[in-house]
Amino acid sequence: MMQTTQVEVKKKMKKDFEPNIIGFLCNWCSYAGADLAGTSRMQYPPNLKVIRVMCSGRINPIFVINALQQGADGVLIGGCHPGDCHYERGNYLARRRYAILRELLDYVGIDPRRVRMTWVSASEGKKFADVVKEVTDEIRELGPIQQLKRENTW
Amino acid sequence: MVNEKQLRDEVKKLVSRDDVKYVIGYEQGTYGFQVTPSFAFTPEEAERFIFSPLCANNLSVYLMLEEKPPLRKGEKEDTRKVGLVVKGCDARAVVQILQEKGLKRESLVIIGVPCTGVIDPKKITVKFPHQIKPVDVREEGNHYVLTINGKNQKIPKDELLFEKCKQCEYPTPVIHDVLLGDEVKSTKKEEYKEIKTLEKKALKEKWEFWSKAFDRCIRCYACRNVCPLCYCKECIVDQLSPQWIYRSVNRSENTVWNLIRAYHLAGRCSGCGECERACPMNIPLTMLNKKIEKDIKELFQYVAGVNLEEKPLLAMFKPNDTEDTIL
Repeated sequence: MMQTTQVEVKKKMKKDFEPNIIGFLCNWCSYAGADLAGTSRMQYPPNLKVIRVMCSGRINPIFVINALQQGADGVLIGGCHPGDCHYERGNYLARRRYAILRELLDYVGIDPRRVRMTWVSASEGKKFADVVKEVTDEIRELGPIQQLKRENTW
Repeated sequence: MVNEKQLRDEVKKLVSRDDVKYVIGYEQGTYGFQVTPSFAFTPEEAERFIFSPLCANNLSVYLMLEEKPPLRKGEKEDTRKVGLVVKGCDARAVVQILQEKGLKRESLVIIGVPCTGVIDPKKITVKFPHQIKPVDVREEGNHYVLTINGKNQKIPKDELLFEKCKQCEYPTPVIHDVLLGDEVKSTKKEEYKEIKTLEKKALKEKWEFWSKAFDRCIRCYACRNVCPLCYCKECIVDQLSPQWIYRSVNRSENTVWNLIRAYHLAGRCSGCGECERACPMNIPLTMLNKKIEKDIKELFQYVAGVNLEEKPLLAMFKPNDTEDTIL
């Protein structure tokens, strides 16, 4: 009896849990895509907190890890489609870094699904909303991050 | 192994040259199984040089550690070369530094030593604790012969070798001006057995393993200081504004430090294993480095520190790089 209620409580908590997701969006494509999603009145979860960067190639892996440390449950990186980068090759470089980082996180036991990357162009408002929905659902399923979280918050 | 007389002659020849400042090599340590780095500025100092299976240190770190104070008015830069004794794995670190343009090829004279494996100091001190007097170690076929207190002891090579040496693919230096002795051809292959078994475990088990290891970390940064490729002018952990990694020793900060250290060596680590050797808390750091090495081999078909002409891994791309996990 006792156990079942505990499980139920846990389940309920999982359902109620609202993930905190940081989105690093590139100025030229994904940010504009997010803008389009907003101006076209598309609904998507408010869990994503956007940080605008000039290019996905600007994203140092420590940005991602630091976000997880400071209490983010997931990180979404948005860049231009391959070949579309405003700086010609930034997103290609980001793609390599992301592939290695994901493998490394998986290796030390942090769920790699917490760090996602997406290509969203300035005209893909619909895709942006869908991606945010998908990522939020996935991280809600995973629950709050247990590892990495910084202990001293002063 | 190498004829030591030949090594000394070669070093003497180098040091007497006008365009060579000094040569870095090994000399007998003060006790036990220690071998210390040695700097020869004159031909007499070259007399001290040795090379034995105990020479595990990666000397290429000293190339980057040399302090270069700002020049005084009217002073000219010292452009003399630096000589260096390298083994197979050390040579790969040198190639990587040159590839990143950390140093100029003209500023180096490299004495290559074909290496048949070196002894892990951690393993040998477990076998012979409390050894105070220096020990003479020779290699004979598949055995090491140790002379302790006048008695000879024969120990199979496999028991003392570094794990990295058992799978070494480049025993002969890939870059050298002088090669001492004959080339050593390797038939070994890196198999990443340990890494593959850990990879297959559940996330929880992996985190248990690594958090236990990282909890031990005392943040002495020996792994960084001993690494020939960690030569940023200001390391990320020394940076105060912004301070990405706090200085407190706890699980979160330790994990991040170790992850970032490993990541910074992605596509650059030559696998010399110095970080693990220097670690006072026995954290299996090579397992992190090798994991990234394995990934980039599989994902990007890239091996660090082999080809001088190649661009660094994270500074280039291929249009058809992996995209499986991108939404």
